Amino acid sequence: MTANSFLEFSKPFIDAAKNIFETMVFSKLEPGKPFLKADNLSKGEVSAVLGITGSHNNMDFQGMLVISWPYQTYYKVASAMLMETFDSYTDEISDVGGEICNMVMGNAKRELAVLGYKTNMAIPSMIEGKNHTIKYPSGTTTIAIPIASAHGSFFIELCYKET
Amino acid sequence: MAIRANMKILIVDDMATMRKIIKNMLTQVGFKDITEADDGARAWPMIQQSKEAGVPFEFILSDWNMPEMDGLTLLKNIRSSDQFKDLPFLMITAEAEQGNVVIAVKAGVSNFIVKPFSAQVLKEKIEKIFT
Repeated sequence: MTANSFLEFSKPFIDAAKNIFETMVFSKLEPGKPFLKADNLSKGEVSAVLGITGSHNNMDFQGMLVISWPYQTYYKVASAMLMETFDSYTDEISDVGGEICNMVMGNAKRELAVLGYKTNMAIPSMIEGKNHTIKYPSGTTTIAIPIASAHGSFFIELCYKET
Repeated sequence: MAIRANMKILIVDDMATMRKIIKNMLTQVGFKDITEADDGARAWPMIQQSKEAGVPFEFILSDWNMPEMDGLTLLKNIRSSDQFKDLPFLMITAEAEQGNVVIAVKAGVSNFIVKPFSAQVLKEKIEKIFT
């Protein structure tokens, strides 16, 4: 995938994340400059991971959407969404990231379809802990997009490979 | 059918986060009697039992994607029974594809809401069902 087509592929996810954060987290997002990620170390301490499969121009592809938050940002996002204060990682907020990931993918699907990408989404999973690693499908290119918000910064990562 | 603040509402979603958000929103717009189920498989017997007990649920808000019994199957079960054929049912989904809407309408959904949504949008959808 060329850099331009990766940007085209990533835009629906960024637009969806902006929409979801404005509607349900009451916060505007400021995406930064995307960069290529060379390792599989998470950028945050709480990560929501969602597998994607699909096709584009008659080529099947495999990908992954990862949203990775530092603890403090995650607590603030969960507190805003659930309208109560959280300051530690508990069962009560353990599926907040997965639900956000679900909504981002669900929303991005519409715009991706307009661009000719047919996508199927899996069920999100959560990984928590300092310096955890993410199992990207082998041979994929991963880009990370830093996001700034009133609740703190976090990262949206996307990987993609034709299969 | 009129909206009443004390009508018996059932939220069905496998994600605790979404159940809590919807419950907060329903409370914000004035509803008081809200019960939760974490899957269609749990919701269906609850709906039947509440009817048998004489305190039936009057409004169902259900997610589409759930691991054991999805929202569409729950809706079809409800509509297949004469006693629930008019039970208001709002389907919640993360996917805004036109195909989904058509399938849900054919199955007898009362209205449809796509995530993300605000309390105001939820209120408007409910008002449309009950007016």
